[in-house]
Amino acid sequence: MKQNRKAGRVVDSVITHIVLIVVCFIFFFPCLWLILASFSKSGSIYSFRGFFPTEFSLDTFKKLFTDTTMYNYPKWFLNTLVIALGSCVLGSFLTVLTAYTMSRFDFKSRKTMMKTTMILGMFPSFMGMTAVYLLMTQFGLINRLWGLILIYSAGAPMGYLTQKGYFDTIPKAIDEAAKVDGATNFQIFRKINLPLSKPMLVYTALTSFAWPWSDFILPKLLLKEKDLYTVAVGLMSLDETEFARFAAGSVFIAVPIVVLYFSLVKNMISGMSVGAVKG
Amino acid sequence: MEKWNGFCEAAKNSSWKVKLSAVVMGGGQLLYGCWQKGLVYLLVELSVLYYFITRGISDLVGFFTLGTQKADPWTGTAGDNSVVMLLMGIFAWIVIAVFLCIYVSNLKDAYAIERRVKAGEQPISFKAELAQLLDRKFYITALALPVLGVCVFHILPIVFMILIAFTNYGGSIVPPELVDWVGFQNFAQLTTLSRFAPTFFRILGWNVVWAVLSTGLNYFAGLGLALLLNKDCVRGKAFWRLFPILAYAIPGFITLLGFKFMFSYGGPINQIIRDLGGTAIGFLDLDAKWSARLIGLFVNCWISVPSIMLLATGHLSNRDMTIYESARIDGANRWHQFKSLTLPYMIFTTTPVILSQFVGNFNNFGIFYFLRGGLYMDNYFLASDTDLLINWLYNLSIDNNYYSIGAAISLVIFLITSTISLAVYVRSAAFREEDTFQ
Repeated sequence: MKQNRKAGRVVDSVITHIVLIVVCFIFFFPCLWLILASFSKSGSIYSFRGFFPTEFSLDTFKKLFTDTTMYNYPKWFLNTLVIALGSCVLGSFLTVLTAYTMSRFDFKSRKTMMKTTMILGMFPSFMGMTAVYLLMTQFGLINRLWGLILIYSAGAPMGYLTQKGYFDTIPKAIDEAAKVDGATNFQIFRKINLPLSKPMLVYTALTSFAWPWSDFILPKLLLKEKDLYTVAVGLMSLDETEFARFAAGSVFIAVPIVVLYFSLVKNMISGMSVGAVKG
Repeated sequence: MEKWNGFCEAAKNSSWKVKLSAVVMGGGQLLYGCWQKGLVYLLVELSVLYYFITRGISDLVGFFTLGTQKADPWTGTAGDNSVVMLLMGIFAWIVIAVFLCIYVSNLKDAYAIERRVKAGEQPISFKAELAQLLDRKFYITALALPVLGVCVFHILPIVFMILIAFTNYGGSIVPPELVDWVGFQNFAQLTTLSRFAPTFFRILGWNVVWAVLSTGLNYFAGLGLALLLNKDCVRGKAFWRLFPILAYAIPGFITLLGFKFMFSYGGPINQIIRDLGGTAIGFLDLDAKWSARLIGLFVNCWISVPSIMLLATGHLSNRDMTIYESARIDGANRWHQFKSLTLPYMIFTTTPVILSQFVGNFNNFGIFYFLRGGLYMDNYFLASDTDLLINWLYNLSIDNNYYSIGAAISLVIFLITSTISLAVYVRSAAFREEDTFQ
């Protein structure tokens, strides 16, 4: 009986690991494929043997940064970086501010505002795109990078719920104590609650960086000149004969964000799950 | 009602100084010696007056007429641009709304000052009121910027598009042609005879199927993966978790374009098929209805499962394990434990997640835009058999200028998603009162 159960446990463990290996393979294989393709010697997908290139070299990466007449990747990369960093700073600031206010203050229009954001969130995401486009032409912000930064940051506070949930978990008793000691609400926010919510700040910064980093709809709509493309729009214009260039460009833009996610994964999970539980 | 009574009382009790504020904003404040505040209010009134005299009134008229004078290059008359007129008309309404708010606050403020003075106190100084913005009224300071941003870049465009749904803007009617209000004509076109109706219902049907299938698939796959990683026999959980996180971290457009290349004619899968002696299959071609749909489901799974797994992991560690202990003593096997303990708990705690997943999948633009974008089929009007409503909306309004029909479709999408969300919300609220898991 006892041996039987032990054998059952071993079988169970073996099956579990086999399933895990298969799942991880499914997740890993496409990435491996792209990484290998970026090191291939010939650029076209037709020269591959099945999934893998026949010869390897670093030429594609060299070409990516030097051969810029048709596809100016360095410029695209710089544009993306500017937009993502700008929206990250401005967007996180606005989101945290909104979330904190919604969590700590009880004012008359609070419930109305929360309901309004909920309803607004249910409209299709780019329903207003035509109107945004018209607005941007009115403001003269077509083909301007900071026009995009403005739109991304202005949209960021709409997703304040996770962050609000996180602030809700910080006990209000700390605030009360500080208030007794004569701190103003602004000081309480800056000196007590902000330092206490580091995981959530990391999560917010990361998501508000990742969104513009990988968005393609807005840049495609608002940036009409080839030199102003972001990487997403630029890579979309590559076809099968430029497959290696696509792969190299993708690897180069995916690596920073993957490294960021890996190094911050602990913060992210706690920021996300704590916020979501109470959200 | 209570508010109205309070207002009547205030109107009766206040002196002429407060009533002066009703005509000349800030008048009461000035008379009671709060000259900074009084001047600010006065300035607001004057600038709003200036705005309305110079252009506000004509903007409001333009909102209703949407332009009367068509441009004529022969005689050189500059015509009305209906779309800009609509936008400026909305802006004028917003100015009115904001002005009314300030107006009311002006009256309230004047009355409050008078009450303080009558009670023998000094009115609060301007400096003290400003200081309050960093303390008791910190929320006003904090929310000013976010609210302004959301108003300009979210609410204004959405209001604009809602109004567009009731005009005939689009197709051949774009400026310099004049746009007109047409009531519900666009919705009628969508649902009854015309080139739009058959496409609309075909896409709607597939869209619902897609949303249900992909949400269910992603949810159970994510939950299953989380449970698998949560098992005691799995060593090195952090290592195994790296792979889904890798998939989660890669920007979506790269994944989607990568999969498109993978399933393309020259792609690796077709090369292998050819090497094995078969003929290449157009997985994503015009006639590939279900293979393209299944690939879409799979790719969406690949993209969304990691995030659900991460969330589910967090919730799983919050479980009360003593229930499982007692269940085991009662002889429940693992399937029973999953079915009657884990699953209800997970569904209960992740209802909001499921809901947002459902809405997100219903409006999942990226998948079929990248895998199969820009295909127009014979039986469809500017769409293909994998397109969701949101893809059709994009094809119509961004690629082909059918703005008003696009706006009407947006409203239909909104109606569907909000009805479902509301139903789930009400149901789960009733469910929550039973305190099943708290």
